Amino acid sequence: MASDIPLNWFLYFAAASFSIGLVGVLVRRNAIAVLMAIEIMLNAANVNLVAFWRYRNAPPGAGPLPGVILALFVITVAAAEVAVGIGMILLCYRRWRAADVDRYDSMSG
Amino acid sequence: MVQFLFLVIAALGLLTALGTVLARNLVHAALFLVAFFFTIACQFVLLEAEFLAALQVLVYIGAVAIILMFGIMLTRNIQGDDTTIVSAAWKIPALAAGLFVFGILVFGINNAVAPAGHSPWSESNMRPSIATDAGSSKATAVRREAVNNMARTVGNELMTRYVVGFEVAGLLLTVALVGAIALAHREEAEPDARSRGEQPARRASASPQPQAAGPSLVSSGTSPPR
Repeated sequence: MASDIPLNWFLYFAAASFSIGLVGVLVRRNAIAVLMAIEIMLNAANVNLVAFWRYRNAPPGAGPLPGVILALFVITVAAAEVAVGIGMILLCYRRWRAADVDRYDSMSG
Repeated sequence: MVQFLFLVIAALGLLTALGTVLARNLVHAALFLVAFFFTIACQFVLLEAEFLAALQVLVYIGAVAIILMFGIMLTRNIQGDDTTIVSAAWKIPALAAGLFVFGILVFGINNAVAPAGHSPWSESNMRPSIATDAGSSKATAVRREAVNNMARTVGNELMTRYVVGFEVAGLLLTVALVGAIALAHREEAEPDARSRGEQPARRASASPQPQAAGPSLVSSGTSPPR
């Protein structure tokens, strides 16, 4: 395959997506929008993991697919994080009647 | 051809990510996020990780996006969606931080120092071949098996090499499930504990005398909520 995709392209795409997600975390005020931006960042990291698995040779003793397994765990943790995060956001919404992160200014009561 | 496909998918992915970040309507943002997840699944297919692509569609689009949509609809802002983006004074530093991180990452990608015996990242323009006739080295065979039979290989790996991580992930999911239920349950039980305490009393007193509204109120007032 003479015209394969260079590894760098995947890395550039992941870096750009990560930066967009970071800007989203900083710019958005709604807590659920912040959560969505965090998901963008996690997905960008996943692309990096799988790209390195496919393009580079794993060190000896790492098994056939180290990057894929790590991406799998990242997906698991992201799902758990979203479930707990939505629960906490709903709780805060009941407390402050708003889902804005700059409204949450105390942790008690 | 593959490069063109990648460029199209990457452009779509970046556009949808920007839409997620910038859309004023939160439901539109969530739909953009679904599109972004799908472009990530397409990237996984381009990377020959089809199992992970299927998992991406199932878990992210099927579960995470739906949960986010539920959250959006349960917490709709009363004064509209215009307040979902912070003031302009915050935008400039945020944009600067994003561009700075992007610059750092690109600099790192371009100037990465490879470990001994490996070529640097910027020179790996071609993925290792998995063709059957490309020299029958053992690493190639292992990689070919992993690519062509990824679900089986993932299962084997999770049950042997990564069994501790697998169990911890299961524990984490259980804890997250219980924690989410506990959070959502307490916020429902605390504000209207009176009505919840009232309901069993009314149901218990309803069968002997259906018209007894007074005794049920008295019993609910005197009995503790639990």
